[in-house]
Amino acid sequence: MNANESLPRSDVRFNAGRTLFLVFAGLLVIFLTLPLIALALRALPLGLDAWMSQTTLAALQLSLATATISTLVALAIGTPVAYLLARKEFVGKKLVDTLIDLPMVLPPAVAGIALLMAYGRRGLLGPTLSGLGIELPFTTAAVIFAETFVAAPFYVRSAKAGFGAVDRKLEQMSALLGVSDLKTFFRITVPLAAPSLVSGLLMTWARALGEFGATIMFAGNFPGRTQTMPLAIYSGLESNLDSALALALILVVVSFGILFAVRAVSPKGLTLA
Amino acid sequence: MLSLTIHKQLANFALDLALDAPSEKIIVLFGASGAGKSLTLAAIAGFSTPDAGRIAIGARVLFDSARGINLPPHARRIGMVRQDLALFPHLCAADNIAYGLQGTRAAKAKRVRELSALVQLENFGARKPAELSGGQQQRVALARALAIEPALLLLDEPFSALDLQTRITLRRELKALQRRLKTSILFVTHDLGEAALLADEMAVLDNGRILQFATPHEILRAPRTARVAQIVGVKNILPATIVDAQTLRVGEMNLRAETAPFAPGARVQMCVRPERVLLVRPDAVGARVNLIQGELVHEESDGNTIMLRFRADGARLQPTREFDLCIDMPLYVYERLNLARERRWRVSLKPNAIHLVAE
Repeated sequence: MNANESLPRSDVRFNAGRTLFLVFAGLLVIFLTLPLIALALRALPLGLDAWMSQTTLAALQLSLATATISTLVALAIGTPVAYLLARKEFVGKKLVDTLIDLPMVLPPAVAGIALLMAYGRRGLLGPTLSGLGIELPFTTAAVIFAETFVAAPFYVRSAKAGFGAVDRKLEQMSALLGVSDLKTFFRITVPLAAPSLVSGLLMTWARALGEFGATIMFAGNFPGRTQTMPLAIYSGLESNLDSALALALILVVVSFGILFAVRAVSPKGLTLA
Repeated sequence: MLSLTIHKQLANFALDLALDAPSEKIIVLFGASGAGKSLTLAAIAGFSTPDAGRIAIGARVLFDSARGINLPPHARRIGMVRQDLALFPHLCAADNIAYGLQGTRAAKAKRVRELSALVQLENFGARKPAELSGGQQQRVALARALAIEPALLLLDEPFSALDLQTRITLRRELKALQRRLKTSILFVTHDLGEAALLADEMAVLDNGRILQFATPHEILRAPRTARVAQIVGVKNILPATIVDAQTLRVGEMNLRAETAPFAPGARVQMCVRPERVLLVRPDAVGARVNLIQGELVHEESDGNTIMLRFRADGARLQPTREFDLCIDMPLYVYERLNLARERRWRVSLKPNAIHLVAE
């Protein structure tokens, strides 16, 4: 009898706890999605001229191009580093590892000012570059510099984990079968690390696409030349809100798509960070 | 001719190994785990560089510290099958086998078919390694290693992860395959039965050194040292003294044995394999030598063989121990002789079962 009574009571308590739990979870979901919904509600009804304006299209085009190039640069210079970090022991490895991760936690404004100090006209390499006839700041190349600086660590980190997870014995076996180290890398290591490499590239591309702080400081905000989508949104707040809304929604959709794709390719779970 | 001299000092292990083995044979490297088997293979494959030494297969020198030769693994033409196989998980069976092949697509496909037939693996080419059974994976790994026509095939405990039945089949097939192809094989194992079954000649490796290199028959019959005897399963190793050419003093007893080449007074170790100690019925007729009266004091069985301990009544072979001799026999013999009930026996140590090694 008592047992029968106590059971529903603890059930009630449990239900209360669960309700509270769900309320908090719901609050978080609402908190995260409400702004996006609000954005979509404003942006979706906009006319064609907001989506197709000169500024919008130029920013979109520039963003896609610079983010893609930055990602390719990260692939080219990040792959050897990631492999070395995953496979070799060397003096100062921890230091290199930390330095490569640093841009991920550094405020982009710091990255921007640091890039200026390095490549700016009065920066460390500025005179040398000027001597060669190269002016880096406030050019499209500067956008790529800023994006690569901020976004490449995402690829290196993911690639390092991917390479590290490839069984070294497979590479040894490949060597014994008469295949050189470089060919082994492309025939064994890369295919087996591919999911990590692809998700790293996607994350890098997404991060480059959204880059704002470092870009505006190092490359400026010139439509058609250095004004990427985030910068165009920032400018649009004052001049052309409709265009800014359209760009913002595009970025939301693209970012969502990328995260979704990363989840699809990632080996068991996800290492976003 | 496989010619090895390898010196390698690790933090708490030293490999110091010399071996000259004939080619086109199965050479077994036999030893317990930690004896240095894997390190030896790593040195031959080129994954581990010896501090000093020379590794040559026939006239091909793979490593020679004196001449500064050290071929990278991909130039050594060594085939390898490891216990964990290390098949390429992203490639299907056929692509695994073809991995080390060169030439046109058609030529490779033809060679893969030949190799698959050779290892009796057919119609599995399109499957990934994970979709194959253990035995099939084994065949893929073997075919892949054979594909490069290796100058030497290293087999590192390749069968130990498999079930008994598959293991027996694959051993038989491997031996037949080797006889056909005349591949030089260095087979590493810690399983004495496997070693004896496969080896044309076997090297007993212990603590980084080769203690004896001979045919399995020779090693089992006449281990060169007490340590080798111990490693190859001689359970009765007793200190003894030579009395004369025909007599041996063991503990409190004199036994008949051929004592050459040892001189009277020499201290030796008497080795008797546990399955060569004979139980003699009390009513048995005929002359027997080295008869010892006593009883069975202990037994344990692995389900196949029963291991007994025998203690002599009067004069003892090992006065300081609880028992004098270990006796192994098949379980059915144990049952046939009704040993569970009848504990009192005489045992006979035939002179040809007694092997002497220097102390």
